[in-house]
Amino acid sequence: MKLIEKLWQALDERYELQPLVDFAKQKAVPRHRHDWMYYFGGLTLFFFLIQVATGILLLLYYRPTAEAAFESVQFIMTRVPFGWLIRSIHSWSANLMIASAFIHMFTVYFAGAYVKPRELTWWTGVALLLLALGFGFSGYLLPWNELAFFATRVGTDMVSKVPFIGHWLLRVLRGGEDVTGATLTRFFGIHVAVLPMISTFLILLHLAFIQRQGMHEPQEEPKLPPRPFFPNFVLREFMVWLVGLALLAALAAFFPWELGKKADPFAPAPAGIKPEWYFLFMFETLKLLPAKVLGIEGEILGLAAFSVGGLFWFLAPLWDRKRVRGEKSLFALVVGWGVVLYIAAFTALSYLGVFQ
Amino acid sequence: MRLLALFAVTLVASPGLAGPLPRVVGIPGKPAQDQCTACHQALDEPRLQQPALQAAQDIHHRQGITCAGCHGGDPTAEDPDVAMDPKKGFVGKIPPQKVPEVCGSCHSDAAFMLRYAPNIPTDQWAQYKTSRHGLALVKGDGRVATCASCHGAHGVLPAGDARSPVYPSRIVETCARCHGDVALMKQYGIAGTEIEEYKQSVHYQALTVKNDLSAPTCNDCHGSHGATPPGVSSVSNVCGTCHLTQREAFDLSPHKDAFAAMEQPACEACHSNHKVLQPQDQWIGVGEGQVCGNCHVAGDLGAQVAQALFQALAGTVERMERVHQRVEQLERRGMLMDEATVKLEEAHQALVLARNEVHTVNPQRVTAKTDEAQAVLAKAEKDAEAAEKELRFRHNGLKVSLVVILLAVVALGLKIREMEARS
Repeated sequence: MKLIEKLWQALDERYELQPLVDFAKQKAVPRHRHDWMYYFGGLTLFFFLIQVATGILLLLYYRPTAEAAFESVQFIMTRVPFGWLIRSIHSWSANLMIASAFIHMFTVYFAGAYVKPRELTWWTGVALLLLALGFGFSGYLLPWNELAFFATRVGTDMVSKVPFIGHWLLRVLRGGEDVTGATLTRFFGIHVAVLPMISTFLILLHLAFIQRQGMHEPQEEPKLPPRPFFPNFVLREFMVWLVGLALLAALAAFFPWELGKKADPFAPAPAGIKPEWYFLFMFETLKLLPAKVLGIEGEILGLAAFSVGGLFWFLAPLWDRKRVRGEKSLFALVVGWGVVLYIAAFTALSYLGVFQ
Repeated sequence: MRLLALFAVTLVASPGLAGPLPRVVGIPGKPAQDQCTACHQALDEPRLQQPALQAAQDIHHRQGITCAGCHGGDPTAEDPDVAMDPKKGFVGKIPPQKVPEVCGSCHSDAAFMLRYAPNIPTDQWAQYKTSRHGLALVKGDGRVATCASCHGAHGVLPAGDARSPVYPSRIVETCARCHGDVALMKQYGIAGTEIEEYKQSVHYQALTVKNDLSAPTCNDCHGSHGATPPGVSSVSNVCGTCHLTQREAFDLSPHKDAFAAMEQPACEACHSNHKVLQPQDQWIGVGEGQVCGNCHVAGDLGAQVAQALFQALAGTVERMERVHQRVEQLERRGMLMDEATVKLEEAHQALVLARNEVHTVNPQRVTAKTDEAQAVLAKAEKDAEAAEKELRFRHNGLKVSLVVILLAVVALGLKIREMEARS
């Protein structure tokens, strides 16, 4: 013990660490009936950290070319010790991270935590969710299997509907006219360099905002004495992370992520090509739209509607004036439940095969 | 000039042409220049205009042979009366009976044909004379196929040109022009359904779907110029030119002598002649729709052998499919099954050989091969078992860690509760 104390003293003497410890001891988190929602941000961060760790391990063996990608993932899953586990956890953790981020966003929305002074926290958070979707989309192609190949072909094709610059965007995204090895290399670069860099920066910013302003406390909730951050909140958060880890282990054990068949660009697309679950509501909506609506192509109209809707959601801190004044906003509540029900219903109906 | 004189001598010596003039045959590789095409192209009557229009793609014309090469006359004369003067050898339209002779006058001349291609065959006319077509033509039947019926009269393309009516993938349709006409064929005692039957065959599938030009079409079995149906005794030779191993196996079987004694065609007895379908193991037996039943009846030695052959094959096929599905499922679940896949391929090879041995109708020879397949399949099954065991181990490991994590969650929960109760 003396050694540790001496070490601490030496460090404290040099870096003045005691004020940080005092700050941590004083830091507290609000307590109320719905304080469970505070854990989802941390849980999302936990899954992100797992993604970083397993992603780095996968990088040791993964080769981003059309000729070698599938074989390298196969090698990871079959020859590398515990490679199957790392790959399965990476795939499942990706899905859980996005699910957790969605829950986090909706709890923040319904709690009205996005209003002044936390606009920037909301905006960085929504941006992080979009980045997570980008991670999912770019990572899905990397094993270069049949489903991934054709889902990416369908997904990237949507970009071509953007007026004026659609075709140019498509070529930029695919690295050519079609999904090829060039697309794979591009997606790999985006997945392991571009997105992690931006995400890390935004996560730090997001955490700094929260640290600076403290947790938002719903005004309508009865006040309880706050909970000390350390060790009470930290231990609770740690418990939630363990539950997340248990969920991951359960999913990896009972539903191991499959490798699939190697992509063959010349083979016909297999029946029932679907994107990942978090894109399903958009995918099914676009499929439901008629070919032409008032002379405009249905898909263009759909994509425009999603863009406008997304922007509206993003700008919630600006249009929701009632909550800034501390009043209840029926409009925001209706919008929120509308979005939740729409996404949940379309995703569920898609899985039930109603749209086929 | 000496060369042209040589051509003139060649053509004079050729039967069927009264007296061709010099410049009838030009320099090989250089398109013919003649007055015939110039005038005929300008004519209104399609019958007379078409041959001149087709001359541009005609192999003969492109190789310097003018219209006069076949029709006689003077190809240099501008005056039609001079150009088509019978005194200058003009014969006009060549009657069908004369066509083989006219074509053969050059195509049977090895020295002449050598100028155009070093390996061009020159026995077509000789073969044609022995063919059913040639024999009937000699008897005065003008409806039978002559050279022009298959190769065309004008605008003749080399046989290797994909547009030619005698290109492998187009021969069926060319033969079908006559042999698909049931009414016409009945007059010759031919059913006329052969073409339709052939189109259901594996050979036609290979030719048209897989674009396999080596797949047999009409002329590969019947001959091209010497076209005639293969006799009962030669059927197995015809099929055996490609299906060597099957013929060797068949030669070992008691069927060889038995079929010969009964004057039955060999391969055709089970596989049919034109409608050669993908052989099925289920064909082996004496039941309805099974080929052994054509000669054998239930209970006889043939039926017993058929039963033994079928069981040996069916058992192997069934096991192979089972192992294949198992291996495929394991591959999808991320297991490396390369070795099992190689073993499955080995088993498949042994099964192919076993099916070949069916032609010997010797159960011992067939089971020797199916036993080989079964032994390899057993090894593949062991690989699959090992992979499944590994998967179970992984699952169990994860389940154990799941329990440990959940225990840690409970312990942590209790600790927090105790800690908060104290404070």
